[in-house]
Amino acid sequence: MSLSQGVTETAINSKKTVNRKKIKKDKWVPYLFILPSFLIILGFLFYPIATVFYYSVQHYDVSAPYYNGFAGLENFKEIFTTDKMFIPSLINSLKWVVSEVGLQLVFGMILALLLNQTFKFRGLVRAAAFIPWAVSGVLASTMWSLMFNEHMGVLNDLLMKMGIINEPQAFLANTSTAFTAVIIAELWRGIPFFAITLLASLSSIPDELYEAARVDGASRWKSFIFVTLPQLKNTIVLTTLLRVVWEFNNVDLLFNLTGGGPAHSTTTLTMYIADLAVHGSNFGYGSALTVVSFGILLVFAILYLKLSRYEKE
Amino acid sequence: MFTVNKKVDKILTLYLPLTMLLSFTIFPIYWTLNTAFKPEGDIVKRPLQYMPVNPTTENFVAAWTNVGFATFFKNSLIVGVFTVIAVLICSTLSGYALSRYQFKGKRSFMLMLLCTQFIPRAMMIIPLFVIFKNLGLISNPLSLIITYTAIEIPFTTILMSGFISNVPKELEEAAMIDGCTKLQSLRHVVFPLLLPGIVATGVFTFIYTWNEFLIALMLTNQQSKFTLPVGLSTMMGEFSINYGALAAGSVIALIPAVILFAYAQKHLVNGMGGAVKG
Amino acid sequence: MFRKKLTISVLTLIMIMGLVLTGCIGEESLVKESSPQKAEKVKIVFWDDNTGPQRTPIWEKLITTFEKENPAIDVEYVGLPKDSAKAMLDAAIASGETPDVASVYASWLPEFSNRDALLPLDSYFSKWSEKDKINKGAIEFNKRIVSNQKLYGIPYTQNLDILWVRSDWFKAANLNIPETWDEFFDSVEILTDKSNNRYGYTIRGGAGGSFQLQRMMYAYSGIETFFKDGKSTINDPKHVEFLKKYFAMYQTYTPISDITNDYKAMIAGFDSGSIAMLQHNIGSFAEHSEALDSNQFQAIPLPKSVEGHYVAEDGNTIGISIFKGTKHPVESWKFITFINSKKAQSFWNKSVGQLPTNSDVLNEDWIKASPHIQIAQKVYNDPDTILFEPPFYLSEYRTILNTIVDTGTQSVLSGKITVEEFLDKWAEAMEESQRQYDESFVNLR
Repeated sequence: MSLSQGVTETAINSKKTVNRKKIKKDKWVPYLFILPSFLIILGFLFYPIATVFYYSVQHYDVSAPYYNGFAGLENFKEIFTTDKMFIPSLINSLKWVVSEVGLQLVFGMILALLLNQTFKFRGLVRAAAFIPWAVSGVLASTMWSLMFNEHMGVLNDLLMKMGIINEPQAFLANTSTAFTAVIIAELWRGIPFFAITLLASLSSIPDELYEAARVDGASRWKSFIFVTLPQLKNTIVLTTLLRVVWEFNNVDLLFNLTGGGPAHSTTTLTMYIADLAVHGSNFGYGSALTVVSFGILLVFAILYLKLSRYEKE
Repeated sequence: MFTVNKKVDKILTLYLPLTMLLSFTIFPIYWTLNTAFKPEGDIVKRPLQYMPVNPTTENFVAAWTNVGFATFFKNSLIVGVFTVIAVLICSTLSGYALSRYQFKGKRSFMLMLLCTQFIPRAMMIIPLFVIFKNLGLISNPLSLIITYTAIEIPFTTILMSGFISNVPKELEEAAMIDGCTKLQSLRHVVFPLLLPGIVATGVFTFIYTWNEFLIALMLTNQQSKFTLPVGLSTMMGEFSINYGALAAGSVIALIPAVILFAYAQKHLVNGMGGAVKG
Repeated sequence: MFRKKLTISVLTLIMIMGLVLTGCIGEESLVKESSPQKAEKVKIVFWDDNTGPQRTPIWEKLITTFEKENPAIDVEYVGLPKDSAKAMLDAAIASGETPDVASVYASWLPEFSNRDALLPLDSYFSKWSEKDKINKGAIEFNKRIVSNQKLYGIPYTQNLDILWVRSDWFKAANLNIPETWDEFFDSVEILTDKSNNRYGYTIRGGAGGSFQLQRMMYAYSGIETFFKDGKSTINDPKHVEFLKKYFAMYQTYTPISDITNDYKAMIAGFDSGSIAMLQHNIGSFAEHSEALDSNQFQAIPLPKSVEGHYVAEDGNTIGISIFKGTKHPVESWKFITFINSKKAQSFWNKSVGQLPTNSDVLNEDWIKASPHIQIAQKVYNDPDTILFEPPFYLSEYRTILNTIVDTGTQSVLSGKITVEEFLDKWAEAMEESQRQYDESFVNLR
C-alpha cells in the first residue's frame, strides 16, 4: 500500500502532460478493449433481439401455423386500441419497479452502511446477510408460497401469535394483499444486490474525506449527505438504472407465486408477455408487446441518464 | 457517562437496525432448514413445528441420491466457473475503456449494452435455441457459458466501469511516470484497488449462472447435462411435490454460494487499506 | 502478504478448472474410444412430459428392461418438468431438434400434427400383432381429432376426473357419499367447520383450473357437444345455473385462497386435513396415500348429470408419439410397442395409479384391488356414460383456457364480473377461434 501513497503525491504535478500524450497515441486502445464484449453480444444476442422485431410485424403463433403471415402494424394497432390488458399491466409494471427498486435501494443502503462498520463476527453477519441473493428462483418461490400459505404457513401462525391478525389470511389470494406479498418476497431477494454493490463502493471511498469532514465538525448525517452520497452517485445511478430494467423484466416470483392473479392484479407487462409466449405460444403478438416495452425502457434509460447527470459533477 | 452514551449509540445505530434487517433476511433461510430436517408428513402438519420434532436427514439423502444430483452440481460448477472467467476478462476490459477513455461510439456502445437487457428472456429462447442448434452446441455447457457471458457482460461492464472510475486516475498515471509500463501500473496500482469490484462482479456472475433456470432448461436436452436449478425443478412433478427433499436439495445447492460469500465479503473491503470506518 | 494469498487462490482456481476440464475431456474421449466396438448400437431419445421423484424412476426402470431386451438400442431418458414441457417441445419443433419419441397428451396431437412434427403411425400400427388390445375408443379419438385423420400417438394410459373425499369425515358426520349434485352441494355445506379450519370443498382458481372447471360443467349439464350450430354450449343456461351454485361456495364453504389455488396448494390443502372434497383425477392417488391412511379417503365419480348420465371427457389419455425428424423410426416403434405391452403398461399404471389402455392389463388383480381405478372403469364402462369431446383441434383451445378462463374464474370469484359475462366471453372466444379455423381450412382447400 505504500506504493500507492507515494504515487499520489507525484500524481498531482504531472497529470496534464500524461493526459495529452496518451490520448493521441492510444486512439485504438479503447476499441481493442471493448472488442471481446462487442463480438460476443453481436454474435449471440443480436439475432434473438432482431427476431423479436421481425415477429412483431408478423402473425406468428406456433400452434396455428395456418394463420401465420405478414401482419404489418396490426399487432401494434391491437395493443393500443382493443387490448384491455395492456394499460393495467403497464401500471402494474410501474408499481412493481418503483416499489422494488426504491425499497431495495433504501434497505440495501442501510444494510451496506451497517455492514461497513466494525463489530464482532462481522464476516459471518455479512455472509448471512447476503445469502438471499444466492437463493434460486425455484427455492425462493417454493419457500415463500409455503410461508404465505393459509393452512400451514408460518407467517399466519406468527402474526396470529402476535395478535396482529385474528384468522389466517390468504395473502397471495387476496387482490389487496397479493401484490404486496410478492413485492416483499422479491425485496427479500433483492436487498443484498444493492448492499453488495454499495458496500464495494463504500470501501473505495478514501478515508481522508471522512476525516476532513470530521475536522469540519460535520455530523454523521451530514458526512453521509456530503461525503458518502456524492462518492456513491455514479454507482447508485447505474445500479438503479440496471435494476429498473432488470426488475421490469423479472417475472419468476410473480410467475410462481401468483401466476399474475388473482384476476390479473399482479400481471405486469413482462408477465403478460411471458404468459402469451409460454402458455399461448403467440409469439407474434408477444413480440409486438416486447417492442413496445423495449421502447418504453429505452426512453426511460435515456431520460434517466440525462436527468441524473451521470458522470457529471 | 461518556461510554454509556457510546454504547447506547451503538445499539441504536448498529445492533438494533442490523438485528431487524437480519431477521427478515435469515428467517426464510431458517425455515428452509427447518423444513429440510422434517419428515414429509410433519411439514404440513399443524400446529407448526418451529423446530423439527422428529429431525431426520432422510431428505438430504433423498435429494443427493436423486437421479444425478451430483452431476447437476458438477455441471453448474463448470458453467459457473468458466462464465465468471469469461465475464471478468470481457467486462474489465470494456469497463476500463468506458471509464478511462473518450472515444467515438462510446455512447452507442453503452446504449447497445443497455438495449440487450430490454428483452424478456422468454422471448429470446427459440432464436437462441436455433443458433446453438446450428452450432451443434445444444446440451453442451459451452452454449450456457456463451449465453450467460453475453447476457451478463452489459451489466458487469457498467458495474466495472463504475468501480474503475472510483480508482483515482492520478494514481495510475503517477505509476507510469515512476517508470511502470501500462500493464505494470494496471497490475500493481489499479488491480489491488479494484479487487473489491472484481470480487463483487465475479460473485454476481457466479450467483446468476448458479441460479439461472429458463435458459439452462431450454438449451439442455440431456439429463446428464442439466444444471442444478433444472435438476431441482425435476424434483417437483405435477403429481408429487416433496417439499422436504426440495428444501434439502436447495440447502445443498446453497452451500457453494454461502462459502463464496464468506470468502468474498472480506475482499469487499480489504482491497482498500484502511477503508474500514469506525 | 495479500498478493501472495491472491496468487495462491488464483492458482488453486486454475488447478480446479484444469481438473474439471481434463475430467470432462477424459469422459468424452472414453466414450468415443469405446463406441466403435459396439458400432451397431442405435440411440433413441425419449422425452417424458412430467418428470418428478415419483414418475422418473418408473420410466428409468422400464427403459432398463427395454434395453436388456433390445441390446442394440440405447434409450436416453430426458425428463421435462411438467410446467415447461410444452414450451420445450415448442422450441424443439421450431428448430427441428426434436427427440425420437416423447410422451404426448392426446390434446397436443392436433397442434403438433398441424406443425408437421409427428410421424404417422398407421402403417406400423396396422401390422402390430397386439393392436386389438389397445383401447379402440382412444385410438379412434386420436385419429378423429387431427385434421388428416391419421394416427399420431399410441395411448398408454387413461385418466379420469373424479372427486377425492375424506371418507372418515363423512362417516363421522353420518353422511352418505354424494351421488347427485344436490347431495354434493349439501355435503360441502355440512362438512364445513371453519372454527376447526375445515372446508367442505376447494375450488382450483389458479393455474390449470379451467380444464377441471370445464369437466365439472359438462358433468353437471350432460350436454354432449361443444358446438351446436356454430354456437358454443359453454354459456348454456345449465352451465350458468351450475357455476352460480359452484362459485357461491367460495369463501363460505371453501378457503379464500382458492382464488389462486394451483395443483400444489390444492393437494396440500386436502392432504393436510383442511378440505373434505377435492376435484382432481385418479393420478394423484399416490400423493394422497402418502399423507393419509387408506380408510381416510376414497375416490368417487363426479355425480351423474342432471340428465342422469355420467359424463367423462373424451381423449383424456397420454400416448407415445414418434417425431418426424427421427433417424430410427423402427427402433422408436419398438419402444412404443414395449411401453404398450402388457407388463410395461401394468407396471407404469400400477405405480402411478391410472387406467391402462391394454385390455390384458385390465384383468390383472391389482386393478381389482385399486378402488379408484375401479371407479374409473365403472364410469368408462357404463353404456350410458356420455363422452364429451372438447375442441382440441382448435389451436387456440389451450390458450383460451389458460388465459381467458383461468383469469375469468378469478374475476368471478373476486366479484369483478358475473357468471354470465364470464361464460359469454369464454363462448365468444371459442366461437371466434372456430370461425378462424373454418376459414383457414377453406382457404387451404
